Amino acid sequence: MFLRSSAIGLVLLAATAAQAADFKWASTTDPQTLDPHAVNSAPVLGFLNNVYEGLVRRNQDMAVEPALAVSWEPIGDGEGWRFNLREGVTFHDGSDFTAEDVLFSYERASNEVADTNSWFAPVKEVKIVDDYTIDILTHGPNPIFPGSIANWMIMDSGWAEANAAALPDKDNGNYATLNANGTGAFRVTAREPGLRTVLEPFEGWWDDATHNITQAEFTPIQNPATAVAALLSGDVDMINPVPIQDAARLKESDEVEIIQGIEARVIMLGFPHEAEALKYGGDAGQPNPFKDVRVRQAVAHAINVPAILATIMRGNAEEASQLVSPAMSGYSAAHADRRAFDVDKAKALLDEAGYANGFSFGLKCPNDRYLNDEAVCQAVVSMLAQIGITAELDAMPVRNYWPELREDNYDMYLLGWSPGTFDAEHPIRFLVTTPNPDKKLGSWNFGGFSNARVDELLPLIQAELDAGKRQAMLDEVTQIIQDEQTYVPLYVQPLVWGTRNNVALTQRPDNFFILRWVNVN
Amino acid sequence: MLAYIIRRVFQSVIVLLVVGLVAFSMFRFVGDPIDNMLGQERTQADIDRLRTELGLDKPFPVQYFKFLQGAVEGNFGVSYRQGRPVSTIIAERAPATLELAAVSGFLAITLGIALGVFTAIRRQGFAANAIMTVSLIGVSLPTFLIGILLIYIFSVELDLLPSFGRGETVKIGNWSTGFLTASGLKALILPAITLGLYQMTLIMRLVRSEMLEVLRADYVRFARARGLTDRVINFRHALKNTLVPVITVTGLQLGSIIAFAIITETVFQWPGVGLLFINAIQFVDIPVMAAYLMLISVMFVSINLIVDLLYYAIDPRLRIDGRTA
Repeated sequence: MFLRSSAIGLVLLAATAAQAADFKWASTTDPQTLDPHAVNSAPVLGFLNNVYEGLVRRNQDMAVEPALAVSWEPIGDGEGWRFNLREGVTFHDGSDFTAEDVLFSYERASNEVADTNSWFAPVKEVKIVDDYTIDILTHGPNPIFPGSIANWMIMDSGWAEANAAALPDKDNGNYATLNANGTGAFRVTAREPGLRTVLEPFEGWWDDATHNITQAEFTPIQNPATAVAALLSGDVDMINPVPIQDAARLKESDEVEIIQGIEARVIMLGFPHEAEALKYGGDAGQPNPFKDVRVRQAVAHAINVPAILATIMRGNAEEASQLVSPAMSGYSAAHADRRAFDVDKAKALLDEAGYANGFSFGLKCPNDRYLNDEAVCQAVVSMLAQIGITAELDAMPVRNYWPELREDNYDMYLLGWSPGTFDAEHPIRFLVTTPNPDKKLGSWNFGGFSNARVDELLPLIQAELDAGKRQAMLDEVTQIIQDEQTYVPLYVQPLVWGTRNNVALTQRPDNFFILRWVNVN
Repeated sequence: MLAYIIRRVFQSVIVLLVVGLVAFSMFRFVGDPIDNMLGQERTQADIDRLRTELGLDKPFPVQYFKFLQGAVEGNFGVSYRQGRPVSTIIAERAPATLELAAVSGFLAITLGIALGVFTAIRRQGFAANAIMTVSLIGVSLPTFLIGILLIYIFSVELDLLPSFGRGETVKIGNWSTGFLTASGLKALILPAITLGLYQMTLIMRLVRSEMLEVLRADYVRFARARGLTDRVINFRHALKNTLVPVITVTGLQLGSIIAFAIITETVFQWPGVGLLFINAIQFVDIPVMAAYLMLISVMFVSINLIVDLLYYAIDPRLRIDGRTA
């Protein structure tokens, strides 16, 4: 069944255009499902972006552009959005794409059992106007809505119902877990979970194909050394990621190229804002010094981010001044400077706060979540030692890390945040507003930071249609976060991919690998 | 005899239950699967709901009991990561591991015995000394390093063999085999050497020392006095008598070849059950981890049981014990 004799392969190769090529790539994580609504994680959504499409999609520069919708406009005074759908689009199995499928995909993706349901929190109702027009009504004005649904992928209602996959089933799996039927540029021709997934171009795709791939095969390779060897030996054409310590060595090879960029993810230090006492270190049980803003500012001044980037990141990352990178919409250009590295100032601030003799506390850190995360934490520990505060580092695998943070078992922690909507509103909603489970706010605000003005501004930002006014409010929140030093943003994580030197592709800051931009020469 | 077998089987079952209990008590420290299963935008309510659904809010003896209930019916649950029955996933992955283990076992036994005999007969020769020295590498270098070295030499530098994976496979019923395609056979070479090297050197050294002992025995000297050829003496008389301990050790090593394939499979991205287990640990996929650990312990326990029964058949003293007990 999986045998493709080399003779057939040769015939196929000869039969296709001279430029056409087979393409193999590897990454550390296998997408755990092919169901676009079951799991909201980057490996799954990134992979499925090649197979399924949304009403809108993001182009090479992350800007939103039409996909299954040709155009969209606000309804009335911010009551929602009307999407005019593309005609003549077919799914991989040949059935037609209509508004019915959009409504079905909304119901499927917003269901309680779907991991993607939080995307639809602002949606009140979805109404079919005619076969190629659909209205999405929101609870209030929602200017960023079209941009927030770029990963909401449309599934064929007939196909899903015929195969008993009308709802995603993450726990037990169903037909859509292993099979896919999208409208995208590639269709899945073989799927062996954890082993390999084969894609072939969809002949009936509505858009013009700009790639020259005849067949693409994805293999998860967990061991970074094996992945690098596979790239060097030509067994694969592209790997993501390249271990940062191997990047310089690979750059010297004639056969491979290193593609570097900046990811959307900002790495930061977080504090307990509510805790009364320290929990770890020599001063466990003593009052929590991080409740004092001067101590938090002192930490920011104490950390020499350029040194971290030069040594641990080998010059591959950029400093961060706020919770989003400059590539995101809503980035506050007025607050582009982070607190300067200044040991004297940090000491003065500690002195002022009454900690001239320093204190001892516990720093929690993951060791397999972000690039070189443990090394970064070790650097933070030594930099804090210079201003007289002693951090006891406790690094652990991420599977143990999140439960610890949820239990408030930390005095300081490391966190990375990549805004799913590529907008500055996203981290404010999840990391800065006062936690409120009912409204699904502040769900990653482990430290319990609370600021009335931020809470007041968030709904206004979400509803503001005027870009200038919206940015002014985002600037104000960024100012508050910087003044209050809610977090200490450190740097924007780098993206390092490796390719054979005959491969041309586009690296997007969301770390999605889009096959339709690949050309093999 | 029957009483002896029943007693041994009963003991094996107890061992299995204890292994399972220890495994389940440790799963709590492996981490929390919830964060891997829910996306970034999850809420506390989602976390609580999923935890209840999966039964993770229950104490571990209860979880263990539920697992046992299912396992008795042949149901190992559904993988958290893949959303498919664990038994299906393991059945898919087992052929890769078993084929790799069979080839490495075969390599280890044939080469190990051949080199062992050679180094015993040509004790003083240059080649024998060289082999003995090199074999130290096989015993002392860790598997992952040997694997990476082999990949570097044969894939990256010489470009002769694939650096990862199993090549093309052919499906025969539910069994996917790599034996029938050129790329499948090529892909087997490096992992099989990596996995079998340690066992090979072990068998080689064992055969060599046994041979040296036997060659000094009286009956070999008498055979020589009778004027038999070296060939007959070495292979008919000496080798045969060295094989008894070798077979015992080999039997036990077979289990560890399968169990320790984990490292080789990770280095070569070999799609077997060992790699599945490593992935399961990273994702805290408890049903897969539990099933794998139980399978491996069943395997070890059965091998030990068979070896015990063989002893019983061979060694008359055990039979006497069995009667008096």
